This record gives sequence, C-alpha cells and structure tokens, in this order.
Amino acid sequence: MAKYDVIVIGGGSTGTAVARDCAMRGLKILLLERDDIASATTGACAGMISSGLKYMDEPNIVDMCSDEVVNFKRIARHVMEKNPIITPLLEMSDISSGGNFAEEYSKRAETRDVPPVLFLTPEDSLKIEPTLNPDLIASIYFEEYFISPFALCMLQALDAKQHGADIKTYCEVTDILTKKGSITGLQYFNRITDKMESAKTKAIVNAAGPWAHKIAALAGAKLELRLNKGAHVILDRRVVNVGVIAKAIEGRMIYLFPHENTVLLGTTALDTWEDPDTLVASQDEIEYLLKSMEWVIPSIRDARIIRTMEGVRPLIPTWKIPEGDVTRGYEIIDHEPEGVSGLISFTGGKLVMCRHMAETATDLVCKNLGMESECKTHNEPLPGNSDDVDILALAKEYGVSQHTVERMRARRGSETATILELTCDHPEWKTTICTCEPVIEAELRYAIRATFPQTLNDLRRRVRLGTGPCQGTFCTFKAAAILAEELELSGEDFQLEIVDFLAERWKGKRQSIRGEQIAQEELAQGIYACVGNLDQALEELDYDLKPWEEVL
Amino acid sequence: MSEEEAYQTVLATLKKEAIYPYTEDEMQVVKSIESCINCGLCIQHCPVVAAVGLDRFSGPRSIAVELSRSPPEYWTTADVVYLCTGCGTCREVCPKDVDIPEIVNLIRARIFKHRPDLMPKQLHTADAIIVEHGLAFVPWEDPEEKAESRDMRLERLGLRYIPDQVVKGADVLFYPGCQAEERAQEVKESAKIILNHFKVKFTLLEELNCCGLPATLLGDDKTALELALKLKKKVKDLGVKMLVTTCAGCTSNLARIAERDAWGIPVYHMLEYLVEEIGIAKLSSAFKQSTEEEPLRVTLHDPCHLIKHTSRITMDYAGQILGLIPGVEVTQSYAHDSCCGGGGLVSYHAGDVARAVMKENLAAIEETGATRVVTPCPLCTAQLEDSLFRQGSSVEVDDMTVFIAQRLPQEG
Repeated sequence: MAKYDVIVIGGGSTGTAVARDCAMRGLKILLLERDDIASATTGACAGMISSGLKYMDEPNIVDMCSDEVVNFKRIARHVMEKNPIITPLLEMSDISSGGNFAEEYSKRAETRDVPPVLFLTPEDSLKIEPTLNPDLIASIYFEEYFISPFALCMLQALDAKQHGADIKTYCEVTDILTKKGSITGLQYFNRITDKMESAKTKAIVNAAGPWAHKIAALAGAKLELRLNKGAHVILDRRVVNVGVIAKAIEGRMIYLFPHENTVLLGTTALDTWEDPDTLVASQDEIEYLLKSMEWVIPSIRDARIIRTMEGVRPLIPTWKIPEGDVTRGYEIIDHEPEGVSGLISFTGGKLVMCRHMAETATDLVCKNLGMESECKTHNEPLPGNSDDVDILALAKEYGVSQHTVERMRARRGSETATILELTCDHPEWKTTICTCEPVIEAELRYAIRATFPQTLNDLRRRVRLGTGPCQGTFCTFKAAAILAEELELSGEDFQLEIVDFLAERWKGKRQSIRGEQIAQEELAQGIYACVGNLDQALEELDYDLKPWEEVL
Repeated sequence: MSEEEAYQTVLATLKKEAIYPYTEDEMQVVKSIESCINCGLCIQHCPVVAAVGLDRFSGPRSIAVELSRSPPEYWTTADVVYLCTGCGTCREVCPKDVDIPEIVNLIRARIFKHRPDLMPKQLHTADAIIVEHGLAFVPWEDPEEKAESRDMRLERLGLRYIPDQVVKGADVLFYPGCQAEERAQEVKESAKIILNHFKVKFTLLEELNCCGLPATLLGDDKTALELALKLKKKVKDLGVKMLVTTCAGCTSNLARIAERDAWGIPVYHMLEYLVEEIGIAKLSSAFKQSTEEEPLRVTLHDPCHLIKHTSRITMDYAGQILGLIPGVEVTQSYAHDSCCGGGGLVSYHAGDVARAVMKENLAAIEETGATRVVTPCPLCTAQLEDSLFRQGSSVEVDDMTVFIAQRLPQEG
C-alpha cells in the first residue's frame, strides 16, 4: 500500500495550494479530488484576487489580502489581469461602509501598484463607462487584480506534481482509517479504474470546501460549516469597459466584472442546504442580480446572458448574523483535541488567501510531524510565469493567428511556445476547435497530455472549451473526437462524453435562457439531436438524466 | 487629488490595460453581435474565406464573435482584420442582422489610433495621401497632362468633351469621386454627357474632396469626419437639391454621411437617378435614336457598395436600362454579385488575396460567353480590367456610365 507523509483531500484552490506547499518542502504528497481540479467552489468564483475591499472592518485580513496580491503578482502574473472598477453613486447613501473603505484601501495601494481610491465626476465616469446611469452624482474608482481560478489551481497542482506529489482526480474518499485516535490512512474509490484503493498516512489535510464536514465525519470528527450559495449570471462578452459595483436591492454590494472575454454579474448569497453537486441558480437569483444592477447600468437587461454559474461558500460557522457580516478570514481546525490526531480541516477563506492558508496549514503539519521547514510558495513562480511571450513573433513563426496565440498566452503563459511547437509535426493541429474562444487542436492535445483531464468538462476548465456564446454548439463534437482518440475511449464513451458535456452546459443555460440564447439553443439541439441523432442514441447508452434535465 | 488628476490617473491605467472605452455609437455596433447564433452562414458566403481559406482569413463570424469579445485584445486582430474586403455579404446573409462590416471598421479604427505599428504599411502610405491631398490618389501635377490623358480616353471611346461647370443654385451636384476624377476620367466625362443630354441643371464642385470612405476603411475616423464635414459645407454652399455620383463606394458612403450629418438632400447613383428622376420613357427614346447598334453580348457585375451597402434595386435598374439599348443582350454570370476583391483596401497590401477573391468572378464571366462586362463602378471596372488582362482574356470591361454615354445619340 502506498505511503504518504500527507494526504490532501480536495482539489480546489486551497487543496492544490497545500499540495504544492507540502511538496515544495519535500513531503511525500497525495492529493485526492473526487471530481476534477477546481470543479466546485473555486471554479464558480469570479477570480478576484481581492485586496479585501468588502472586509475593511477586519484590518488584519485586509493586510493579509494585500500581501497575497503582491505574492500572486510575483508567482502568477501570466494568468492575472487588472480590472479598473467603478462604483457609481446615484445618491450619497449608496456609499457602502463609509469613508473607512477609501482610507483602508488607499493605505495599502502602493504596494500593489494601484492608485489610491479616487473620486470621479459624473462626466468623467460616463466617459470611462458610457453605459452608466447618466443620473449618477459621482463615482468611486479603484483597481483590483483577477486571476483565472482554473488556471491557478491547475498550475498549483502541476507545480506540486513537479515537486513529486501524486495528484489523483476522480478519487472519492470513502473512509478515513484511525487507530487509537490517530490517523493511519484512508480508502477511496477510484472512478477511473473503477476500484477501491487505499493509502497510508499519518496526516490528512481536509480541504474539501463545502464537503469538509462530511470528510471530517469519516474520521469521526466534528466540523461545522455555514454553507452559503452564490450565483453568477454570465454575459456573452465584455459589455462594460471596466468593473462596476452596485448596491443590491437589500443593501449588499454586487458587481459586474470583466472576466476573460465575458462579464460576470454576481453574486447572490443564500444560506443553503442543497447538494452542491446539483445546485442551479434560481429564477429569483437571476432577477435579483438584474434588478440590482439595472439601477446603475440600465441596459443590463438587454445584454445577452449565456448561462449562470453557481457554487457554495464554506463559511466559518457564525450564526444569527447576515452572510456579509461573517468573517472572510479562515480557520484551521486541528481535530486532535477531539481525539482525531493527524487530521486538520479548513473552514472559511477566500481565493486570494489560498496560498496563505496553505502556508499556515503546512506549518502546522510540519510541526505535527516534528520537522522544520521553510515556505517558498510566495517566491517560486508557478509554471509558465517565467518569460514574457512575444505574441507577434510566435504567430508569425508558427503561422497561427495572433488572437489565437494571445488567448493561449492568457491561459498558458510561457508554455505557449511549447504548444505551438506541436504544430511543426502536426500542421493540421492548427485547426480551430472552439471558435468562440478560440482554441486550436494543438492546445487541446497538449492539455490532454499534460494536465490529466478525463472528460470534456475537464478540458473546459483547462482551455475554456465551450464557454463562449455558442456554449459548445460547435466544439463539442470535434473536441470529443480528439479526447476519444487521446484517451482511447470506446464509441459509446465518446457519445456519452458529448451528452455529458452538453448536459453540463444545459445546467447553466436552463434557468437563464431567454432572447437570442433560445435561438442558439435551437441550433445546438438541432445539430446534436436532429443531425447527430444523439437523442435516439441515448436510449442505447448507459445514461441517467441529470437532476436539472428532468422534464417538469 | 484634483478631479482632473484623478481622471488622468484612471486614463493611465486604462491605457496600460489596453482598455479604450467604447463610445455609445460603437456600443450600438458591438451590441448587434449579441444576436449572433453562430449559424455559420456568413462563413459559407464570405468570398475571402472561399478564396483563401479559414487559416488565412478566419472569417466574418470570427471577427464578429471571437475578435470582439474582449476589447483589450483588439490589437491581436491586425493579421486578420485587414483582409476583409468589406463587401457586406456577411451582413446581407446574416439572419440576425449582425453588422459585421461596421465591426471591421471599428476594430481597424482602434488599431489605427492605438497600435498604428500593426497596420499594413501600404495603408499608412494611402492615409498620408488622403491627409495631404484630401483625395484617395495623388492628384495630377500638371493640369495639361491630366487634360491630355482625358482627351485620349475620350477619343478612344468616341466621346466628346463637355467643359466642367460650377453653377450655384443648380439642381444636381455631380460628384465623380476620386477614381473618376483622377484616374478613370472617362467616367466623369460620360456622366456630364448624360446629364447634358437630358438637360439637367448640374454643377461640379469647385474643388473635389474625397468622400472619406477610404479613410474610414483604414480606420482614420478623424480624417474621414473632416472630409465629410468639408464636403457638407461645399454642398450646402452650392445649394443643390440632390447629389448624383457614378461611384458605388461614394454612393454608399455619401448616403451614410448625408444622413448622419443631416445634409438634407438625397444621394443617387447615376443609375438610380436615370430611372427614378429621368424616367424609363425618356431613356428609351434616347437609346432608340442612337447610331451605335452593333449587337453585343454583355454581362453585369454588381458592385458590393451598391447591392450590399445601399440597395439591390440599383442593379435591377441596371438590367432595365441595358434592356432598353438596341442590340445589347445580357447574360447573367453566376457570380454577378460576388465581390471583385477590390474593396476594403485589401488590394493595397494583400494583392494575392484580392486576386484570389476575383478568381471566381473571372471564371463565371468567361462562362457567360459575353464579350463585355459592364459595371456601374469605376473601382470595380479597374479591378476587373486588371484581372481579365492578367488572365489574357479578350473580354472587355466598361463602366456602365461610359457604356450608357456611348449609346446616347451624338449631339451637336
């Protein structure tokens, strides 16, 4: 039986950060993820490497966030971008938490290479963002950094792997083994091999996010979470020039953030007891977001919604206060006092803190294991962060369009050249597979070989396949064929891949579908059902309808 | 920090992040893309895609969707966006009315303004000429040489010379456009012959300036606007009731700017003017008096700027007019409405692409068995003539204004 110093459970931002930190300190690591890397909470966030703007009442957390932004700029600048953000004020009471915010933000601005909070006149605000409600009286301006959450987690996982960690996706922990109150190992079901497997360890880090309490329970430990649902509405393109923050109907702050080549409108916050796996955004949430943003961006309702995206926040269990008042700090719980030695769990946290959370947890693990070590995760760059990428030169050298190369760079950083190199032996791999993004075949092949996807959905997280306005209408069939060839899938599995991917797209489309997206959906269904005959094939395939596919 | 300092600080960040806020007008154009359902019709019909393939030119859908989704990446489109001939086929076939040609102009304007280093250098040269001379071409240095060239052309075509006239308070302003003014002078002369024949009170401009279309196509919006406003002033000063032009590009662009800038007068292509204002009856009797009666088989080429940017009715008129001319038999080419490759300034910097686009037209023209191509645009005429000549074809090309003028009864 394989033996590890530490086993990390959960492949989100925290889990992958812990695996990376531990591996870099020389520990033998196994990371187990029941689905794919960044497939749940992390994958549903807006990617803001927040300077802590919503939590200005917690100066320690703001300090930490600000420092982490600087760290990310050092280790992951190739998957980051800066968004200018405007908060239009229609009346003075629209200012959220008073003057405290401007002061706290501005104090730390210089270290992050951003200006202090600025106040703009209505005229200047409208020049920057003409879609704003012209009745605004002023606006507040500041800047924040954003990162692709998928890329961040994948790079952390890959870096951990390069430092010797074993990363296993589609492995669900079924039991945690203890002996006399100490962890001895665990059992998991490997969905890829369809077998139960087990591993020995004395230390487990539970980074299972909204499932952390269930993991703790496997070891007989208690963990409480306040689960809170957040939903985004995703628009087809950048319909705003800059990020926009607005006060929602009940006084919370919501936002419209440019994200890659889309805009995210979010988020809701609802205490939830739903299954995170089958969660969908409700009609109420969509209307709440549209209504709230409509005051400052009157045209928002005319924008094209391509889908929704939803996740569950594993908040620190603080009760009888609104979600917004719950600390955004994190807690690391060592279950030793309750008689489970070797298990530590996370609650709370934000994307921006994931590296910090990992450092603290790894320090604790090392202390428990009785070893001395030094964290290097804030200094060593993540893969692909090494050199600047010369888009024009690469496009010319490989005969691939500049836009394709630039989008590849935004996802891959300095690996771009390695991917393009593949087209020398396979010129046909310059074919565009996903035309909304765009993604060429070479990048898909590379992602399949280097980043261990098992499904088309995994590929979506690697290369943004099918995330554009057509929502997989044109890439699904082509990408499935490539995946099937690379992974040697059977004809049946090839068809199942297509159906699964389309079903997952439908999950985000169903609640929000309206306007042009209905016409788009007609076309998609025409292609896959009428032409591809997949509706008939379904009867032959071993496929169960997903909960969100049930006909009402 | 003062209000102005704050604004300048924001602008500095926006520049660094390559965010150049869309104006409200631009927003409307970009908004039309939201309707795209990715059906692919535009790709199927794009003449550039058909000619050079998707690897060289990623096509209208890609420009509308991929290339416009993230505005800060506008600069990456420079290797694709200048290969669009601006024919407007994509917009015509689009079931959702996505204004792709305008999106091309919008992206080109961003590159011109913020990353001019990425624009083909031939277009910089073209822009410098427009800025310096207010014309699309360097004007003749010696007026006598220009007159000699004109007379040679007139003699070859058997047309007589009518002196230029500038008349305040005339009914019609005849606007020849840069091509007919500086190069294809026979088109300008023919128009004068036609207007004269039908006793139209017309005037020319004291000094011609470009309508601004080439400046718009290369993204120099500032120059395009200056030229448009200059032209408006000249038109207003003359006090004419309408404007007639013989150039397809000028027709579509003048119609657009006349509406945008509230000129308050209609813009006609010569063919529209003849059918709608002169009338079929008068045309018919004029052609009947003509001495030129040699039987001739012709085929028509439809200029994109008329059929796809203005109205398809103009080419119906073209057919009607040819039908009135004794001895002329029209055979339709299967590619009669396919772009000649001469648009969008593509031939300035990617002659191979322009010629590849033209290829389909050439084959179709040969297949008709016609000995002459007639087209109501001096730019299409030049492009067709050049390509047929290169191919060693015996088919001749006439601008339709010239073709008509030749078939009016000789006077005086």
